[in-house]
Amino acid sequence: MSSNQMRTGKPETFTYDDEIVKKFVIATLLWGAVALLLGVTIAFQLAEWRFNFEIPWLTFGRLRPLHTNAAIFAFCGNAIFAGIYYSHQRLLKSRLFSDVLSKVHFWGWQLIIVSAALTLPFGITTGKEYAELEWPIDILITVIWVVFAVNFFGTIIRRRERHIYVAIWFYIATIITVAVLHIVNSLEFPVSFTKSYSLYAGVQDALVQWWYGHNAVAFFLTTPFLGLMYYFIPKAVNRPVYSYRLSIIHFWSLVFIYIWAGPHHLLYTTLPEWAQTLGMVFSVMLWMPSWGGMINGLMTLRGVWNKVRTEPSVRFMATAVTFYGMATFEGPLLSIKSVNAIAHFTDWIPGHVHSGTIGWNYMLISGILFYLVPKLWNTELYSKKLAHQQFWLATFGLVLYIVSMWVAGITQSLMWRAMDDAGRLIYPNFIETVIKIVPMYWVRAIGGTSVLISFIIMMYNFYRTIKQASVKEETIYEAYALDASSIEAHASAHRKLEGVPMIFSVLSLIAILVGSGIEIIPSLLADKYIVKVSAIKPYTPLELHGRDIYIKEGCYTCHSQTVRPMAHEVVRYGKASNAAEFVYDHPFQWGSKRTGPDLARAGGKYPHMWHYKHFWDPREMTAGSIMPRYHWLFDQKLPYTGIPAKMRVMQKLGVPYTDQQIASSIDDAKAQAKTIADELAQSGVPAKLAEMEIVSLIAYIQRLGIDYGSVPDEPAQEEK
Amino acid sequence: MNNTEEKIEVKEDEKHLLLDHNYDNIQELNHPLPSWWNTIWAISIVFSIGYFVYYQFMGGPTLVEEFQTEYSEIIVKQTEFKRKESLFDDSYYQKIIADGGLEKGKEVYEINCLPCHLKDGVGDTGPNLTDDYWLIAKGTPESIYSVIFNGSEENGMPIWSEVISKDEIYQAVSYVMTFKNTFKKGKKPQGEKIVDK
Repeated sequence: MSSNQMRTGKPETFTYDDEIVKKFVIATLLWGAVALLLGVTIAFQLAEWRFNFEIPWLTFGRLRPLHTNAAIFAFCGNAIFAGIYYSHQRLLKSRLFSDVLSKVHFWGWQLIIVSAALTLPFGITTGKEYAELEWPIDILITVIWVVFAVNFFGTIIRRRERHIYVAIWFYIATIITVAVLHIVNSLEFPVSFTKSYSLYAGVQDALVQWWYGHNAVAFFLTTPFLGLMYYFIPKAVNRPVYSYRLSIIHFWSLVFIYIWAGPHHLLYTTLPEWAQTLGMVFSVMLWMPSWGGMINGLMTLRGVWNKVRTEPSVRFMATAVTFYGMATFEGPLLSIKSVNAIAHFTDWIPGHVHSGTIGWNYMLISGILFYLVPKLWNTELYSKKLAHQQFWLATFGLVLYIVSMWVAGITQSLMWRAMDDAGRLIYPNFIETVIKIVPMYWVRAIGGTSVLISFIIMMYNFYRTIKQASVKEETIYEAYALDASSIEAHASAHRKLEGVPMIFSVLSLIAILVGSGIEIIPSLLADKYIVKVSAIKPYTPLELHGRDIYIKEGCYTCHSQTVRPMAHEVVRYGKASNAAEFVYDHPFQWGSKRTGPDLARAGGKYPHMWHYKHFWDPREMTAGSIMPRYHWLFDQKLPYTGIPAKMRVMQKLGVPYTDQQIASSIDDAKAQAKTIADELAQSGVPAKLAEMEIVSLIAYIQRLGIDYGSVPDEPAQEEK
Repeated sequence: MNNTEEKIEVKEDEKHLLLDHNYDNIQELNHPLPSWWNTIWAISIVFSIGYFVYYQFMGGPTLVEEFQTEYSEIIVKQTEFKRKESLFDDSYYQKIIADGGLEKGKEVYEINCLPCHLKDGVGDTGPNLTDDYWLIAKGTPESIYSVIFNGSEENGMPIWSEVISKDEIYQAVSYVMTFKNTFKKGKKPQGEKIVDK
């Protein structure tokens, strides 16, 4: 402890702000329950569609974004802030920079969450996964994140400990990278207060989105939690961290490599192949850096494994790190092209994600809370027995979840690709492959319920714990003010770097900008590699509005719009997709999961009447379908007057609409709606249909793939 | 420092690895990097570089090229199948009928055709099959076979030979033939009136 013993100078006394930590702890518990309840709800909806009670804002497409946002930003977000604010002060021997900023941070973040809950279920969404919140909320997130950053770095400036501990390295990387990701991915042009279009289109939008989406996992669900692990595991077991050297290597390699891996979400798409390959190989190289964190976490438990049996906090954290190891092995595996070809678009992916979010995040948060709550409220945990019951329920539920999704994903994928000797699909009807795995959806829903119950048990346990809290006099801490006496002349280079956190932060920023720049900048100069196809025209005004309905209803949560270059996909859906098809798609709608079939070639496949009946009740056309009914689209008037404003924004974003087209857009949309309605009227559909939203959605679906379909089959345009 | 902190447990064999820093009563050992970890990481990096260089610079097949190879084999199989099976074979048709084709045809119809042609073939999205007007088929088993086998893009009829087996198509034909000229109430007649000679 030489660094402390040698210190001289002015001793100072100070206190820590634990009230703000308590607030974030309570918020974590409340939003955690909400996130899990939403997850269980939509899990049951996949098993039995009627669980949406035919209420628009309870349908899967609307609630799934709310579930993911609640789990990531509300549950994990509040937990991160609680853990960071608790440990940051103690690691730096300094009270948080500003009590006011802490409060603004807390209430601002809760406001963001409430705003999400009041917009997403009502279809106010940008249609970009994990970034669905509309532009006013995006701005609010940016402001609150800056408040957090000022509070965080302000505390660093006022620190009494010269060197920053590894936990803080991870916090720094988190704060910087999340800011960059959020701002770049959220660039959008407002149409109104509740509607905007992404600045990027098609392939570019996909690349930016998955650079963001993947790194939301990396820098919101991984790096801050690794930081928390580095603080709370050694604190909980009173053991030194296993290897400082490993901390350095795995921190820098993780931060540098993670940012490149986004394109592994876009393998076999029309993203240029060099970017896909980069996404894959960097994922493979990421395996060991990820495991570096696991090794340091688990090896710190050396000699105290008995505490896993007796101490709930240790038990949960050790399990979390184990699941982290599993998920970070599965991730690189899934990134290998030939494995991804099987797993992508299937339930294997949600299974993988939940081994991370439940296995790693929920478990680690529980472990941290079992450590924190008794300390913060100056009491003993109410019941270890309940904590252990919670543990077993959560583990049981998670295993059911993971295994059922492996079975469902692999089964369905093999059915999709099965072909006979005549070159025909053995399961040409997509629905056959859905019906086959519905039993697994039930198993998953039961697993999820078990996890939810485990969480409620924890809430009760903490409720009883906090109820028996005793008033604690505020502890006064003492430390030397930071002065020259803490400079270590002969320290290693990295140790010196730890003494200059601002330079450390800049280096982290550079580390994440390298990969980001190399992958994204060439795509922004897209003209170079997207070979234009003249047959591909912008959407008509009616179709454009229909596309917004598609986004609003969250169709992309279950349907993809990209045909991969694989024989079975081309036989099933039609021509493989081409990058030029998406140049007017602000935002892109490729999706990431095929709960239903791909729609890239849906246009003209069925008559209008088919779609009319299918949206009214999918089971009329497809027996056994698990898709919700969209009956409200048959009663909602189509707001024709709003169309010109949308087209004007699209025009600004580079879609070649002429002023003339915009001026006549309302009439054009009405004319197209009438054509569709007239055709439907022949089958006895009421003529008023031309005024309803459903017409625009039918028009949009009927347009998908039409333009590119008219292009004669040639060897697909190479984009190298 | 807060003197209520518990003492950190350091084992005898690791004392020499303990670093002198103490952060809020957290200390660090400085174990060397595990050799298996180093080895696997090195292998993953070498593999990655090799993979990237092979596929991006040394002419390794692109995904699209791999697809084209795979797809051309499928096309050969499909063409062969179409060549062999797209022609209506009346003796095979009779054999199917003798084999209880009508009953099986009813099942095939109910699974595949019902959504558009409805029960008893009265038509809805697809045309009424009970009248004597025909859009593309001519009311003969041979022509109905051809429409089912090849589909009709402009009328929204799928290419059923990609979906159901040859026998199932023959069975469906036999069942659809029973609707003919039953003149059930349903969708208005479409197409051309064809009166059997």
